[in-house]
Amino acid sequence: MSKYITAYYSDEVDLLKGVKLIRSKGLEIADVLTPFPVHGLDSVMGMKRSRLSVVAFAGGAIGAISGFAFQTWVFTSAYPINFGGKPLFSVPSFIPVTFELTVLFAAFAMVIAFFITNKIGPGAKTVIHDERITDDRFLVVVKMDETKSDNALSILKEAGAQGITLKGE
Amino acid sequence: MYVSPIREPLIRGGKTYSQVTKDIMAPMAGKPSIYWYIGITISGIAALFGAWASYMTVYHGIGTWGLNKTIGWAWDITNFVWWVGIGHAGTFISAILLLFRQKWRTSINRSAEAMTLIAIACAGFFPTIHMGRLLLGFFILPYPNTRELWVNFNSPLLWDVFALTTYFLVSLVFWYVGLIPDIGTVRDKAKNKIRKAIYGFLSFGWTGSARHWSRHETVSLILAGLAAPLVLSVHTIVSFDFATSVIPGWHTTIFPPYFVSGAVFSGFAMVLTLLIVTRKALNLEDYITINHIESMNKIIILTGSIVGIAYLTEFFVAWYSGVEYEQYAFMNRAFGPYAWAYWIMMTCNVITPQLFWFKKIRTSVVATFIISIFVNIGMWFERFVIVVTSLHRDYLPSSWAMYKPTFVEVGLYIGTFGLFFTLFLLFIRVFPVIAIAEVKSVLKSSGDNKNDTHHE
Amino acid sequence: MDKQKFQLNSNTRNILFAMIGFGLLSLAYGMFGGPGAKRVAASLLLNNIYFIHIGLVGLFFVTVHAIAESGWQTSIQRVGEAMSAFIPVGSVLLLLLFVLGGMPLLFEWTHTEHLDALLLKKVAYLNVPFFYVRFFIITGAWVILWYFVRKTSLQMDTGDLKYFHRMRTLSAIFVVFLALSTVVASWDWLMSIDAHWFSTLYGWYVFSSMLAAGIALYIILLFLLKQMGYMQHVNVEHIHDLGKYLFGFSIFWAYLWISQYLLIWYANIPEETVYFYVRQKYFPNLFYVNLILNFVIPFLALMTRNSKRTFAVLVPVSVIVFIGHWVDLYQMITPGVVGGEEAGIGLLEIGLTIGYLGLFFLVTFFSLSKAPLVPEKHPFHKESLEYHTNY
Repeated sequence: MSKYITAYYSDEVDLLKGVKLIRSKGLEIADVLTPFPVHGLDSVMGMKRSRLSVVAFAGGAIGAISGFAFQTWVFTSAYPINFGGKPLFSVPSFIPVTFELTVLFAAFAMVIAFFITNKIGPGAKTVIHDERITDDRFLVVVKMDETKSDNALSILKEAGAQGITLKGE
Repeated sequence: MYVSPIREPLIRGGKTYSQVTKDIMAPMAGKPSIYWYIGITISGIAALFGAWASYMTVYHGIGTWGLNKTIGWAWDITNFVWWVGIGHAGTFISAILLLFRQKWRTSINRSAEAMTLIAIACAGFFPTIHMGRLLLGFFILPYPNTRELWVNFNSPLLWDVFALTTYFLVSLVFWYVGLIPDIGTVRDKAKNKIRKAIYGFLSFGWTGSARHWSRHETVSLILAGLAAPLVLSVHTIVSFDFATSVIPGWHTTIFPPYFVSGAVFSGFAMVLTLLIVTRKALNLEDYITINHIESMNKIIILTGSIVGIAYLTEFFVAWYSGVEYEQYAFMNRAFGPYAWAYWIMMTCNVITPQLFWFKKIRTSVVATFIISIFVNIGMWFERFVIVVTSLHRDYLPSSWAMYKPTFVEVGLYIGTFGLFFTLFLLFIRVFPVIAIAEVKSVLKSSGDNKNDTHHE
Repeated sequence: MDKQKFQLNSNTRNILFAMIGFGLLSLAYGMFGGPGAKRVAASLLLNNIYFIHIGLVGLFFVTVHAIAESGWQTSIQRVGEAMSAFIPVGSVLLLLLFVLGGMPLLFEWTHTEHLDALLLKKVAYLNVPFFYVRFFIITGAWVILWYFVRKTSLQMDTGDLKYFHRMRTLSAIFVVFLALSTVVASWDWLMSIDAHWFSTLYGWYVFSSMLAAGIALYIILLFLLKQMGYMQHVNVEHIHDLGKYLFGFSIFWAYLWISQYLLIWYANIPEETVYFYVRQKYFPNLFYVNLILNFVIPFLALMTRNSKRTFAVLVPVSVIVFIGHWVDLYQMITPGVVGGEEAGIGLLEIGLTIGYLGLFFLVTFFSLSKAPLVPEKHPFHKESLEYHTNY
């Protein structure tokens, strides 16, 4: 059974200051929820750089290689036909389709990975802590158990957060 | 990040975050205005005209068109290239302006990308219907079949299939991933249960988590990095449809970047045409400011000038090459039976964008609207001139012929306008036309109550 | 400690003079030793054009950012201005090359007694007097615009905003003129070498090549300045953006390369394919080396974010790109001027380029020493110091 304390800010500058303070006091932040991406929040929260770029590269490489290989096979082995005197292994002709498949595979691999790693997607069941997050509220969510709750509440108050609420699940 | 005080604000009216939400969501609430109903009725009728023309084409055949042996491509391909070109502006705004850190893109990218998707659909309609035997349309896809045939990867027409499919899918993904957080906003503001459920589903469970936002930014950036060369490649491959041939006026190495510039040129004109009306009708002038219009006009000068330089280059090199067929192609364009089309093209494409050098004109909404329409007319004629004049008189004079469109072809074109405007009108009711979250992210630094923001 | 004004110390000056001296020796060797007049002419043309182009890119960098109202580059733009000081120098050297006997060696169309039917058709454009008229208009306008842009930039050090607006106007004029003039210049000085051939994309292809080479040298210069203790405010953010340009321009060049090649290959018209046929037959290695240096390496090496944020990757890649576009120009010029049999890359070619590099740096450093390194009263100056690329 997990419990949360949520508290909000109305401004991202205050949020950043608050989060810094909260982390410095050793309180573990489960999540920060904002209406738009706040620059600087990544580093203040200690988030690691995403590896989605690696997925994109891998997808693109697969697209490129399979696209080029497939065209080569079709043209030299499966259905070799002399089109306008071009050689069967006509590398310049293969480039457009290879390029398109590179981009297509890279984009889709990355976006699918994005959905999977965030655990969002069609029909996903996620917790909406506050309906004003997508409007103008910046929420801090702290996970805790009963023994530490008073400490957490005071730290949050010190960090200038408003609307400190205890939520059970 | 520090923003110099001499810069014009991008968001006016001293907005707060919740005001931004409210303003942008307002067009989706309540009943649409009478103008919306009038608009969608007209576009609906146009679409019906297109439906009739499609029926005529499919049931009675391509004979209902004005094509003949000499001129095998005319309005169909002109319209195809015209629509694809228009689509390019959306991707340019979303992807390329993102890579160039142009914050002014945040209030126009959502509708521009939507425009792109609709334009690609309109574009794709033409190669599909010009096949004639639509039931066999799947032949263009590479799949293992009992005829033991494969598609011709050597052909630019097939490269088009891959390019347009990829372009549509990647643009769709780029648009939708960007839209998800805003759908979250619509979901959370929805009072009606069904509305909340539908947008809840469409929002994919978006929570606003900072981790999710961080990955969202990474995905947006990489998609931008992928979409930028993609958009260049799509119109390049479209230009290959012509340039890989040996036809005078078609086979020329400048086509790839020239077509791409022309596409961005016409695309921005269409974005301006749409947004000038939209910002007024939906009271979004505080977000789509004169500044935005001016910046788009500057891109129009840039791309229009590149197109103009390309015309001069083609003309000069046609003479310089000493190839009489190439020289004739250009003389025929300017002085032959289609000269009227050529001069409309020159006036609209070369002269009108140059007017934007004057600050008074490029900051005038009315002037911009008029010029944007002329640009699109000019760019339609450019494709028409390239396609038809090169075909109607090439190497063999005994094959020379003339072309005139039929009612059916005109109907198909008008039908795509119907499709375009119907879908756009639906879009403005169903989704926020401005990227709410993105505008909020630049509000502090670039809104007109700027504070000196300081992170870390 | 950030030194505000550049001073050329004697060590550097001596190295540069040595390079120039080596270049002169290579030139002498070329003329009186093995290579011969044609290779000398080709090599001089290559170096003059290469370094004028790089100078033009320096000015283009300043002016295009001015009309885009971009702020991040403000604290590094004096480097671009300094690079552009070579424009008048290179133009004079190019003129000397043409006037002192280069024309008949470089351009077959100057041999008016031997013109075939096709070249006779082009005589209205390809004749010596008209060639010089175009030369003077183009280089003259370059020098005049360079002078006024530089003057206005220095006037901006007073902080008066009227110079900021004047700079924007001048920049627009220069950018438009540059687009037109580099295209015409490429036809005159490069494409007419293979006077029977033509390509409408040629001007833009040459432009893309000079963009990549110019940015490469920009990066190298910035690196050298930092090593000498100047420009300490230049941080990873500035370098990152320059790296993005190098990456992007290299891809753009490759895009134009493949456009030109694929279309000529595909249509297979002999009067067009002869251009690539000659190159692939007599210079096959260079043909592929060109692609590897100018596209494959920058594309793979600069793909990641971090690679663009460190001189440790950027400088070697810049050097490679600099060499790569030299190779590109070489195989634009040499097959037509020298021919496959007699061509080579030896002491003449390499030494002369080292000499020109020395001269280029000398002129650049001289120009740098004439003004404060950073335009501190520029309205976007603070933006340039306090910015993050964010991604």
